[in-house]
Amino acid sequence: MIELLDASLPIIAFVLFSLLTIPVVKIINKVKGGKNILLKLFWFLIIFIVTGVAVANLALKYYAEPSPRPFLNLSLTGDASAIFSSMFLVDAVSVYMAIIFTGVSAVTILYSLFFIDSDKELSERYYAVTLMIIGCVTGTVLAGDFLTLFIFWEATAAGSSFLMLYQKTARSLHATIKYLVMIIMASAFIIYGLSVIYAITGTLNFWEVKHALAALADKRLLEIVFVFIAAGYSIEAAVVPFHMWLPDAYTAAPASSSAFLSALVDQASYYVLLRVLIYILTPPTVLPWNFMFAVLSALTMIVGNLLALTERDVKRLIAYVCIADVGYNLVAITSVTPLGIMGNLYFFLAGGITTALAFMIIGVFNSMGIKNMEDFSGVGRRMPLTSLALVLAAFSFAGVPAFAGFIAKYLVFTSAIEANMGWLAIVGVLTSVIQAAYLLRLINYMYAKKPKEEGKIKEPKKLLIPIFILAATIVVLGVYPNIVLNLIEPVIQQFQLMP
Amino acid sequence: MQNTLLLTIILPAAAAPFVYFLGKKSSRYPAFIIALICVINIALLSIIVPTILNGANHKYVESYYWIPVLHASFTLFADGISLSMAIITLILILAAALFSINYMQEKKGLAGYYTLLTLLSIGLVGVFITSNLMLFYFCWELMLLPSYFIIGGWGYREPYRAAFKFFIFTHAGAIFVLLGIGAIFMVTGDLDMFQTQNALKAANPELVKWILLSLTVGFAVKMAAVPVHMWLPDAHSEAPAPMSALLSGVIISAGAYAILRVSLGTVFPAVMATSFGSMFLHGLTIFGIISAFFGSLIALVETDIKRIIAYSSIAHMGYVLFGLSLFPFQEPVTGTVLHLVNHAVSKGLFFLSAGAVMKQLEIRDIREMGGLAGQMPITATSSTVAALSIAGVPPFACFMSEFLIFVGAFQAINIDNFYLIPTALMLVATVLSLAYALRFLSHVFLGSTKHEKATDPLSFMKTAMIILAVLTVALGVWPTFFTQLISSASLV
Repeated sequence: MIELLDASLPIIAFVLFSLLTIPVVKIINKVKGGKNILLKLFWFLIIFIVTGVAVANLALKYYAEPSPRPFLNLSLTGDASAIFSSMFLVDAVSVYMAIIFTGVSAVTILYSLFFIDSDKELSERYYAVTLMIIGCVTGTVLAGDFLTLFIFWEATAAGSSFLMLYQKTARSLHATIKYLVMIIMASAFIIYGLSVIYAITGTLNFWEVKHALAALADKRLLEIVFVFIAAGYSIEAAVVPFHMWLPDAYTAAPASSSAFLSALVDQASYYVLLRVLIYILTPPTVLPWNFMFAVLSALTMIVGNLLALTERDVKRLIAYVCIADVGYNLVAITSVTPLGIMGNLYFFLAGGITTALAFMIIGVFNSMGIKNMEDFSGVGRRMPLTSLALVLAAFSFAGVPAFAGFIAKYLVFTSAIEANMGWLAIVGVLTSVIQAAYLLRLINYMYAKKPKEEGKIKEPKKLLIPIFILAATIVVLGVYPNIVLNLIEPVIQQFQLMP
Repeated sequence: MQNTLLLTIILPAAAAPFVYFLGKKSSRYPAFIIALICVINIALLSIIVPTILNGANHKYVESYYWIPVLHASFTLFADGISLSMAIITLILILAAALFSINYMQEKKGLAGYYTLLTLLSIGLVGVFITSNLMLFYFCWELMLLPSYFIIGGWGYREPYRAAFKFFIFTHAGAIFVLLGIGAIFMVTGDLDMFQTQNALKAANPELVKWILLSLTVGFAVKMAAVPVHMWLPDAHSEAPAPMSALLSGVIISAGAYAILRVSLGTVFPAVMATSFGSMFLHGLTIFGIISAFFGSLIALVETDIKRIIAYSSIAHMGYVLFGLSLFPFQEPVTGTVLHLVNHAVSKGLFFLSAGAVMKQLEIRDIREMGGLAGQMPITATSSTVAALSIAGVPPFACFMSEFLIFVGAFQAINIDNFYLIPTALMLVATVLSLAYALRFLSHVFLGSTKHEKATDPLSFMKTAMIILAVLTVALGVWPTFFTQLISSASLV
């Protein structure tokens, strides 16, 4: 049986370690020389072993439940009528999300340990905030009612602003303020929508809200509420036309933060959309919102890719790819099919690690002063290993087979066809071609153009370790996706059993 | 043996790292390894030949566990058609690898080049020997990626521009293929070509129509049929000669093979009886004629030695499209596949010979050449064999297959008199191909000597050309092996 403690243990562990990290890393920093980095590695190894065990414990207990695998609601009081009637919801989706978040965040933290931002190592506060965000994101995916979801998710968003502000330059301040204004507006929308939902239904538990709304005779009020909630969560996921904060925020943040944010916070924002739209406001029984989001999805794919096509700053270009990824995720969400949910879950991992990989590599290039497309001229010969990793990431983005991105896109587009939205699939594949075009232009600069200076550049060996861990994952997941698909297959069964 | 076909995939995959590290040390040994793998693979495939010729349903299938959620199993299969294509692909890769030893020796980064060639051979062979659409698509794109880097990295003039054009065109085509495959999966819940063939017959014909069109458009881009041929002249003429041979010989044939196997073999039976079915076939005929005339006419006026051959590839894909449009008849299908085989050998030889001329003279305008027959006798002979075969002159290879296609066309006229005018037009097009072949030969090898110091190329280039030249003549005189193998396969 899963207890409340099992579900809250990963969150508690991350938060506790986050608080401990400040004194511990301060003490470690007193040690100079080669031992310093070893001690830090050791400390984070401990953290990820403990939290890994906590997550594994949750997963194993969940999969040990008698089949068919249920939705487990865990509450503080055990009283179904209370507002907090289910703090946590443990199902195949949330267990999967907790697993990938722990794994991916371990790699991004490994990167940030070696990452040197403007001649300085990252401070202990950076790690503390990062760990806190991981805890909050895990809380978000395990939340079982709207209030818990809201608290953890807004905490994640607030924490992210610290990572964006880290460089303390005028540019990053500007970007962070833009982000915060958007996020505060979004949470105002959401809190307004939730309060009306509570007024209508008298509960915030996911399933009870769903049943109460489905039984509603007059849905006019719900339609208004839906606009607020959908707009709020869309702002946080950077759906076009609410995408303006993302490129600024990701460009202003140090590369390690951009990698972390795109791999975790971005994916969690899609998760929130998935959970709220498909599992709670399920069309057509609760509200038929498909077409509206299908249009938004098409817009997001087109605008994201076209902006990327005209962009010269490569870090910003990758940020636009993140926006395009929102669109591809929305394609699967609007299809409301089991295949689509599988596609989403696969995309969370594949898209997350590909964007994280891209940001990590751009971080390496940026530290050498290589920022714009033109600066990339001829780096393929000067920095062969780093360039190879970027080529792999680019092909995964473009959805070329034998890379993880292909399986993700295949699942997504097939689910759109299955839901009779062939036009959306066509928009999707055509924008993928645009994507291939601008990524190939980057490769073209890297390999075909003459470099400004000759000679090899010394590649940072340590940073290449996390980079090639992710690159290898992309290829393995592309050739043998079963490793992950088996993990998310219960979702199909579960979707049909949805209460 | 149980795992023969799997071995043909695993062998080059396992050899790729060795090729890379050996390539760092030496510029010859990696080519020998690739050649050795090709020989072993040809031997492995020949083991299956008796099984196919004498077996009950003339098929050989191996199936492995892969992605069960998507109904994608790692199904490798071979029948007469796919086996002949796979064998000819391996022969061409063998010739290309040997040719590269001398042709590429001054170039840099050969370790990368040979590794990419090894990876390319996986995709090229894999595309012909699978019956699972997902695996097929994997191999389909695996043909594209290494070719992009080979053309870009070792090509002429502005190679990455040509490679970019190639990648974007064929990738866009591949995306349409992917849409079609996704729709097939959605309609039938399966991805095996033979399972879906029956399941599609029960599906909504309106949807099947769109699937068929989407797939065919996607394949036609790879095949470079007019009007989606624009990538071909650039990519084929800027690529290094061994890669041009593979591009023109095998990669565009893969497009034709895919139309035959997937569009016509798997999806088409579901709409064959409807009026759309015959409209679709007539459409193929018309695009075939346009391609044949367009390619031949431009080849007649082009002056760049490799672009002439590139445009003749477009013309020949026109013949192939015409052959495909006679689909349900046995002779034209056999003739078309045989033409793919013969064209691969002849065009491969043609590109290698042109590459040899370019390498020795370092010019590419045929007006500046002349009288090379005396100085480069072996290149001249191999070019003549290739050019005459391309022109459809007996006893060289392409004559046999063109003859079979026309025999089939006359059969088709008896049933559907739409084919009367197209057949006549196609016969005219063969005259045009003789014209550009002779123009090529007379400009390059006959006339007054303009380059005193030109000589025949080095030994490995000669070996590669001789192998293909002998094969071109042999296939023209004795096509029985392939005709038997191909006609044993039944598509419907």
